[in-house]
Amino acid sequence: MRASTLLSESLAVLGKELTAELRSRVALNAIGLFGLTTLIAVAYQIGPYQIQEQDRPYLLSALLWIILFFAATSGLSRVFVKEEDAHTAKTLRLAARPLAVFAGKYLFNLILLSALFSLIVPLYCALMSYRVRGVAGLAVVLAAGAVALASTSTIVAAIIARASGSTTLFAILSVPLVLPLLVMLIQGTRAAAASAELAAVLPALQGIVSLGGAVLTVSVYLFPVVWHD
Amino acid sequence: MEAISVEFTKVGKRFGARAVLAAVSGTLRPGEVLVVAGPNGAGKSTLLNILAGVLRPSRGGVAYRRGDEEVPRREWFENLGMASPDMAVYEELSAIENLRFFGRLRGHALADGALAELLETLGLPVREHHRAVGTYSSGMKQRVKLAQAALHAPAVLLLDEPSSNLDAAGHEAVAALVARFRARAAVAVATNDPREIAWGDARLDLAL
Ligand SMILES: Nc1ncnc2c1ncn2[C@@H]1O[C@H](COP(=O)(O)OP(=O)(O)OP(=O)(O)O)[C@@H](O)[C@H]1O
Ligand SMILES: [Mg+2]
Repeated sequence: MRASTLLSESLAVLGKELTAELRSRVALNAIGLFGLTTLIAVAYQIGPYQIQEQDRPYLLSALLWIILFFAATSGLSRVFVKEEDAHTAKTLRLAARPLAVFAGKYLFNLILLSALFSLIVPLYCALMSYRVRGVAGLAVVLAAGAVALASTSTIVAAIIARASGSTTLFAILSVPLVLPLLVMLIQGTRAAAASAELAAVLPALQGIVSLGGAVLTVSVYLFPVVWHD
Repeated sequence: MEAISVEFTKVGKRFGARAVLAAVSGTLRPGEVLVVAGPNGAGKSTLLNILAGVLRPSRGGVAYRRGDEEVPRREWFENLGMASPDMAVYEELSAIENLRFFGRLRGHALADGALAELLETLGLPVREHHRAVGTYSSGMKQRVKLAQAALHAPAVLLLDEPSSNLDAAGHEAVAALVARFRARAAVAVATNDPREIAWGDARLDLAL
């Protein structure tokens, strides 16, 4: 029997990811640069006043998620490829059980997404004069979105690391997983913007949570197979 | 750590149409060093990967045995230490941080003092322990990699070209490590270095 627990191993992987990221800043730079560039481009080209008042809830929530999603993709897709590139994958494979690797990487992606959301969302609301009536509703949608997006990104990143490691493939594989998720996130955000009632975001929230939960459950079984060939 | 022997029977490996190993058999016995020799491309690294369980053989099989009892495959890795040219430790972390990390993963958390001692026996002086491995020379990285393999005192130790990039003192340090493990572990060394071939109690020659 091994002496370490799944929890302690997962936290060790997470700690390693955070330490390495704080020193190299590869993912943070990619996410930050991509997020800020698209945000500024959108703010500059469209700004708050190019959109008709009645279209604002629809367009502003969609634009926000496009920015968030592409920034996330640029940083999160490398979480396993970097292990293959650095030849640490085999060392890690021999030392940690697969589930601990998945959990550690998942938590790391979740932290990156939370950092991205807390940087971009307030800036976006300010630059686009996006008035959100249900701030609590938006916070819940963002939190659920981070949890769900982290699970899809982590499993897709694991698959592409074994395939070839191209970011394009990440985008393609993500489509069936992420498209419905993005649609529900946009709907939830729109509902939160329109209404101060927390109940307004519930329909979208249910969808986000169930899809995220389903992907996470499948990943727990799929990941060990992907990780060990 | 209880002694484990590794038995491989008629192991064959093909990569596509290319046959690399054909019906290779042998045993790693605790208290013995098996040297795997052969020209470049003969399949030494391939065989070690199969023995480790990171590569599936196309034919034949590998069994880990503890006494009469077979060790289930999911427990192989925790009884195994390995260093090979296609493995690396984390460049962003220092030597000590790397060993702390792998120690935690293996549930074999040693005090920093013990980790430093292990690195020192492999010839990495204390003043180097706390800077990022990415700034090390290739020989220094090799020493950390070997420490990673030995850290949890595994019952099976697989070393692929363990002295690569090492100077004479480094070579001596690896010889001492192998001598220390020989006492209670099953050790395999893949090499073409005549000095390392001399460590072997048994020898397996692979041909092209
Ligand atoms: N993943 C792989 N896909 C295709 N061919 C492979 C793969 N791994 C190894 N080979 C081939 O198998 C043969 C044996 O390779 P291996 O690395 O085991 O040789 P080796 O004996 O360790 O050589 P060296 O002394 O150079 O380290 C080589 O011809 C190599 O090209
Ligand atoms: Mg080799």
